[in-house]
Amino acid sequence: MSELKIENLVKNFQGMDRPAVNNVNLDINSGQLVAFLGPSGCGKTTILKMITGLFQPDNGNITLDNESLLPIPTEKRGVVMVFQNYLLFPYMNVNENVGFALKMKGVDKNTIDQRVKEMLDLVKLPDIGLRKPKQLSGGQQQRVALARALIASPRLLLLDEPLSNLDAHLRDEMRELILTIQQKLNVTTIFVTHDQEEAVLLADKIALIFDGELQNFTSPKNYYEKPKNIKAAKFFGGVNFINADLVDNKIQSEIGFCEYQGDNISDLNKKLFLTIRPENIKISKNNEFDHNSYQGKITSVIFSGTHTRYKINVNNVHLECSLQSVGIDNIKEADQVFVHLPKDKIWGMND
Amino acid sequence: MGGERLKIVLSLTPPLLIIITLFFGGIFYGFLQSLGYQPAIGKYELNFSAYYNVMFSERYAKLFWSGLALNLWVSFASTFLAAVFALFGALAIRKTFVGKTLCKFIYSLNLPMPHLVVAVGMIFVFSQSGLLARLAAQIGMISSPGDFPVLVRDKYGFGIILAYIWKEAAFFFIILMSVLQSLGENFEELAQSLGANRWQRFRYVILPLVMPNLFSASIIVFAFSFGAYEVPALLGVIYPQMLPVMAFEFFLNPDLNARSEGMALSIIIALIVMILVVFYFWLTQAKIRKD
Repeated sequence: MSELKIENLVKNFQGMDRPAVNNVNLDINSGQLVAFLGPSGCGKTTILKMITGLFQPDNGNITLDNESLLPIPTEKRGVVMVFQNYLLFPYMNVNENVGFALKMKGVDKNTIDQRVKEMLDLVKLPDIGLRKPKQLSGGQQQRVALARALIASPRLLLLDEPLSNLDAHLRDEMRELILTIQQKLNVTTIFVTHDQEEAVLLADKIALIFDGELQNFTSPKNYYEKPKNIKAAKFFGGVNFINADLVDNKIQSEIGFCEYQGDNISDLNKKLFLTIRPENIKISKNNEFDHNSYQGKITSVIFSGTHTRYKINVNNVHLECSLQSVGIDNIKEADQVFVHLPKDKIWGMND
Repeated sequence: MGGERLKIVLSLTPPLLIIITLFFGGIFYGFLQSLGYQPAIGKYELNFSAYYNVMFSERYAKLFWSGLALNLWVSFASTFLAAVFALFGALAIRKTFVGKTLCKFIYSLNLPMPHLVVAVGMIFVFSQSGLLARLAAQIGMISSPGDFPVLVRDKYGFGIILAYIWKEAAFFFIILMSVLQSLGENFEELAQSLGANRWQRFRYVILPLVMPNLFSASIIVFAFSFGAYEVPALLGVIYPQMLPVMAFEFFLNPDLNARSEGMALSIIIALIVMILVVFYFWLTQAKIRKD
């Protein structure tokens, strides 16, 4: 188990008008499974490569168990990376691929054979040791790549887009396997993804990165309920944003006075934004709500199978409400409704 | 279906006719001459006496076997060394650095250069009257240019090997650069993160990845250097003499009887190269079956 600390990490590339990674700070606890989430080109893989030592940072430090990794060459860091396209050595069979790290350490053949067998059992591929990579499916290749990384007993395991090349059903299977193995071995793991659903399903904590800058590092639940800013909220499917003012610790928004229970009120600026998940908004033809109830007009109703999405105009602010199944029978387009934003579900952000 | 087949046959016929007429026709007629068939001088009998003469007669045997040994030595050494130089050159140059384009240009410069020009260049630079010898004498490293080691027209074929390395390294380089660029550095980075040091990455990752292309290119270079005439003719000695030079001298002999020996030698050279190519195909097919 290893604890990773990233301090003021900066990386510039020639020809880029901004740093690829800009002043990133992170503390990852032992045994945690952390996701680096962000759109393509935001700097996630660059951070991963700096942790492995394949890139040298221009500034900052990376420590593993209080020891700086920067002076240690990649091959001696004990940080193993599984690449996005698996990269199984095409001229080696599965056994040779999995045993590669031990062979490089000079471990004797019998021990390698035994450990390879253990690892292939762990990834549930016990009988394919003699096959060549091109005889394996994408899912099998991914498992072999994982076994090859784990046999090295890494202090830190890095997975670059581990599920992106897999079909939907294989993704679920592989996700389960990664979770099971990570919990069993308790190895500190970072994986990179641009898929927020994947990050939420797998990670203990998510580092959200945009344009090389860390936006937030918190639990998946907080990204939904307590996003740090509009960008983060939007990345996790947030669509409702309301301008507001903070006056004497009370919030006056563009749709009216708003009762607020968020624990961050002391951190909020005078000008702020309120947000609420579409699934937390309630609507009704009659005013059944004791607080934060506003009058609005339904502008559209969209049925998407499992949910019904209502678009509502409240004082020229467009809000979206998502209800399970077919929604509410008697509420249709152009109807006047009461919109309720529960005080324990609404969240304030500075930008 | 029949129409499609006819189309394929019709489109393949012209190039096949050219190949069969020029290539197999020439070889077949040469083979007949090597068996003693020369109607121009009234010889119609077919036998293997030209082959026997070349390989086992008291007059030519020593020349032939020493020539074959020199041929094998020159071809193996030049192919191997050109491949090694090109591999290390390509590995050094593939990374981005200032002057990369210039380095690539210099490395590839020899490719369009005719072998004849390269051979003459070797004489100008490496012979005992060449630039290096004069320079060494001028700065006092040797007392006179004549003391310079014999690197051109030497009995070990060093001059020929140098010329082939100079020329063929460019061919290997171009092939290796395209292979290395298409592979990228991910395999090496992966191996590095799995604990492989620089040597291990070269031995267990780069070499196996480039080997199929390197091997194919080596077969081409070996076959070429084994059968080429102009470089050994310019940079070789009278004894031992490489087989293509020997064959050409038989062919130029005013005594038309010697032409059969010349043809026999040419067929032997072609056979050795063909055996090598067949062996290569057998190896690659065996590998494909194994995979």
